[in-house]
Amino acid sequence: MTIQAYGLSAELSGHTILYPTNLDFKPGERVGLVGASGSGKSTLGHELVDTLRARGASVAHVPQSPDEALDPLRSMAFHWREAEKALGVAPDHARREMLFKALQIERGDLRKRPWGWSRGMQQRFVIAMALIGTPDLLVMDEPTSALDPVVAAGTMDLLEDYLKDRQTALLLITHDLGLAARRVSRLMVMEAGRIVEDAPTSKFLSAPETQAAKALCAHRNWLELPC
Amino acid sequence: MIGIFAGLLLRALVVLTGAALATFALLWHAPGDPALAIAEARYGQNVSKEVLDFIRAEAGFDDGFWTAFWAWLVPLLKGDFGQSSVNGRDVWPDLVTAMSYTFPLALVSLALGLAVSVPLALIATRKPGSWLDRGTVALASVGVAIPAFWLGLLLILLFAVQLGWLPAMGAETATHSILPALTLGFGVAASLTRIIRSGILEARGQPFLPAFIRRGVARRDIARDHVAPHAAVPVVTVLGLELAFLLEGLVVVEVIFARPGLGSFLVSAIFARDFPKVQAVVILAAVIFVVVNLAIDLIYRSLDPRVSERDA
Repeated sequence: MTIQAYGLSAELSGHTILYPTNLDFKPGERVGLVGASGSGKSTLGHELVDTLRARGASVAHVPQSPDEALDPLRSMAFHWREAEKALGVAPDHARREMLFKALQIERGDLRKRPWGWSRGMQQRFVIAMALIGTPDLLVMDEPTSALDPVVAAGTMDLLEDYLKDRQTALLLITHDLGLAARRVSRLMVMEAGRIVEDAPTSKFLSAPETQAAKALCAHRNWLELPC
Repeated sequence: MIGIFAGLLLRALVVLTGAALATFALLWHAPGDPALAIAEARYGQNVSKEVLDFIRAEAGFDDGFWTAFWAWLVPLLKGDFGQSSVNGRDVWPDLVTAMSYTFPLALVSLALGLAVSVPLALIATRKPGSWLDRGTVALASVGVAIPAFWLGLLLILLFAVQLGWLPAMGAETATHSILPALTLGFGVAASLTRIIRSGILEARGQPFLPAFIRRGVARRDIARDHVAPHAAVPVVTVLGLELAFLLEGLVVVEVIFARPGLGSFLVSAIFARDFPKVQAVVILAAVIFVVVNLAIDLIYRSLDPRVSERDA
């Protein structure tokens, strides 16, 4: 079933930072949302998640940095239990093992607090937590910008592997076209609170239409990066 | 963990030694002749030189600073606070009597302060910036600014003189404690309200909270499991300072309400230049302070173990 959200918009102290926007995602679709910093990408992601959640849809969100996802005073085990409780699912040891294995954090000590783990592992823990309920849509807001490129690529590979035979759609928000181009089949470009271009990745890269998309594509060297 | 605890203990020991030395040195070098003051306290005006010499020898004033310091410190380490230089009575039993008036009052005031400030801060932070919140902040600011001696006198004027409901002086019955407890509790409540309020507001601004809401964690659970522990960290930290203000306030309040507690004990000892008594109170205060701060440090570390991680 296609996930749809209409009329997403946002204002900040009287200024429109997100103009009314409609979004749709097919099951299992991989979509990238790119644009310069301050173009409204994160706002759109938050609005999308909040709107869908309010409607009772199954949607999960992974913030930019683990600092924005984990409470430094609480253990990893606490976070996991709490996430299960929030989803209304019973604690399931096997599911946790499976997710931890998929993201390769099975060696992490759950009794520790977030800062007892490396940042890369923290972020993978946050992603694993987002996958507990096998959501219909996973929104990832710059999920790897806090990680070094090698760890970031590894994390994305693990996530893609996990999602391969599942129906979860993925919205990848990033300012890094290189990351998005390799991972998604459809790209949207944002500029000044509006989506100005929405095209299949191959078409986007070969024939960008808008100025914003051309500017992003002009920096070709991103293709050399590992992610 | 053991290393950290040892470090904290060492720090406590240094503070206590410093307090002992500073107290002794200050009194030793205080202007005026202490022997004369003692003699006057014992025998009235016009004491002879022989009496003064006798008192000097008896109190050890002739032996020099370090000898006198050691002569005081060594018995102190064994729990002997010495004898009053005015009436020769053991200091310890009198100190215990004074404490039996002061400590219950301090605890009741602290409990009163907490009982008022926690709900008040919770109500105020429901809607930050609302008239209720602003009113609470204004009231708390006024409360912090009002000196205990003034508030104490006002309460006496109203409840003891005008209305005649409560006794103003003494400590014979439990009703005698009501006005002093209100006086102290008001100040404690005012400053705690401010601290708890800002602690809650700061905790609500933690960057990870929106993610918990998006994860579907119930607001009530977020408040209990994430906001409250973060708000508690600054509150616990300031509780130690709060105790210092409380001790200070106690001295004033006890004198105003003529309660025979530590405050009155200290003030009368100072006027009589009764060194052993003054030193006993100061050392006692230092011990209380150090023990409470040690406890607070440990609570703080159990709330936020990152502190220990940084120290290690």
